[in-house]
Amino acid sequence: MSTRTPDRRTDATSSRREHTRSSGPSRWSHCRKRGVDGSMRTDEHERTDEHERTEGRHSSFTTPESSGPVSRCAASSDWGSQVEDNEMRRDLHRDLQRYRRRILAADGPHRERKASSGSSGSCDSKEEESLETDEGVLLRRQKQISYGKNTLAYDRYIREVPKHLRQPGIHPKTPNKFRKYSRRSWDQQIKLWRVKLHAWDPPTDNGTQEDNEEQLDLGDIMDIELDFPTLAEPGPQAAHAGVMEDPEGTGTPVKVQRMDAAAASDVV
Amino acid sequence: MSQIDETEAHPTVMENSTDEYRFQSFDPDTQMLLKTALKDPSSVDLEKVSNIIVDQSLKDQVFSKEAGRICYTIVQAEAKQSDGNVFRRNLLNRLQREFKDREDMRARSIHEWVCYVTFICNIFDYLKVNNMPMVALVHPVYDCMMRLAQPDALKNEEEVDCLVLQLHRIGEQLEKANSQRMDQLFFLLRDGFLLQEGLTSMTRLLLLEILEFRAGGWMLSSTANKYYYSEISD
Repeated sequence: MSTRTPDRRTDATSSRREHTRSSGPSRWSHCRKRGVDGSMRTDEHERTDEHERTEGRHSSFTTPESSGPVSRCAASSDWGSQVEDNEMRRDLHRDLQRYRRRILAADGPHRERKASSGSSGSCDSKEEESLETDEGVLLRRQKQISYGKNTLAYDRYIREVPKHLRQPGIHPKTPNKFRKYSRRSWDQQIKLWRVKLHAWDPPTDNGTQEDNEEQLDLGDIMDIELDFPTLAEPGPQAAHAGVMEDPEGTGTPVKVQRMDAAAASDVV
Repeated sequence: MSQIDETEAHPTVMENSTDEYRFQSFDPDTQMLLKTALKDPSSVDLEKVSNIIVDQSLKDQVFSKEAGRICYTIVQAEAKQSDGNVFRRNLLNRLQREFKDREDMRARSIHEWVCYVTFICNIFDYLKVNNMPMVALVHPVYDCMMRLAQPDALKNEEEVDCLVLQLHRIGEQLEKANSQRMDQLFFLLRDGFLLQEGLTSMTRLLLLEILEFRAGGWMLSSTANKYYYSEISD
């Protein structure tokens, strides 16, 4: 990993390490701030390893049932979950609208040309076509992103590297959930992103950051590197590389290989 | 995820307002717990806090009118502090359990039932998702209102009083969320006002006022206001 190594000073977060890791909690789990129910987690709560999570549906992907009696009327779920789902959907649609506005803004010149030629439908630009609008897909992706952001590493990362200093290909970048990708491609992007974020894991008990990085699953990385070429979706990616900004910044981990071109334009 | 803007809800503002809440009816330990929940929600058991608030609301109608504000503050504080919603989830699910047993509750104690309706309407009024009422509560609140508009409830001034009070507060929001059900509710209220025998004149007055109130676009004309609220008669 050529990523910037966070400094080793102990900070507030390190107080969470008081439990020894003798029981060998998964390195993916010990940095998680909160459990499914939103309460701050303690190290007693075990989390499955990332490998397991990508294979099957991790239990935390499903809405936990309330402990109360099952509703007679509402077949769906309890009020608390209904409100949360509702909140998530609204946020998603708001984000999608914002993303669309950005696309239109970036498309400005094209629009004018089209308008002058009298053609309608400035919306059917290539960017619009490659938009992922399926609510189910977007909600699933948002959850995956939320899990990544719900980590101490993510907090440390955004605190230590201001947005304008982040460089494509060097710093982790949240995958763009609004762009059309195959399931496989998306999951791989998430995986890469999560791996990169782990460079900002708080130092552990039995060692420094280096130890931590050595623990990083080599198999995992190899897997990703080897898989890399096969997940390419030449269509949309080639067509749109570097064109758009997503709400989180530019590009996606998939475009790491093209970083020199992107970096040249991004970095002053 | 969170509906809260980072820039608002300064902790100092919250601290200042903490003292305003009516916690006197609780024992000192509980008062402490509630005050902590307002300032530092993640340091307390929020399920316990939500149960304390609901329990008290079901007993104390004054508190049930106040509780929405308290719950709002805790929800905001928790979202800001940890982006969590443990408190809201527990609160809503407890409300839902009580809702399922509402007929038993009403049979057991009209007072408790009236407190419940006051409380759920207050929550509906205060807790919003992205500035919109929580959709999950729209039908339950309507169900409560419809229940209060049934003939047996109209005979009971305590329930009529509760009904019109809630409609004054949240009637407009409810109608925006679902106008059909508001129409149905007002069919019942007109029928009650016009056809039901044995209602007290106070009940008829309350019903007539709420009918005029909605007809005027959820406000009273100045003459109507004078008619209902002026102490001096011509």
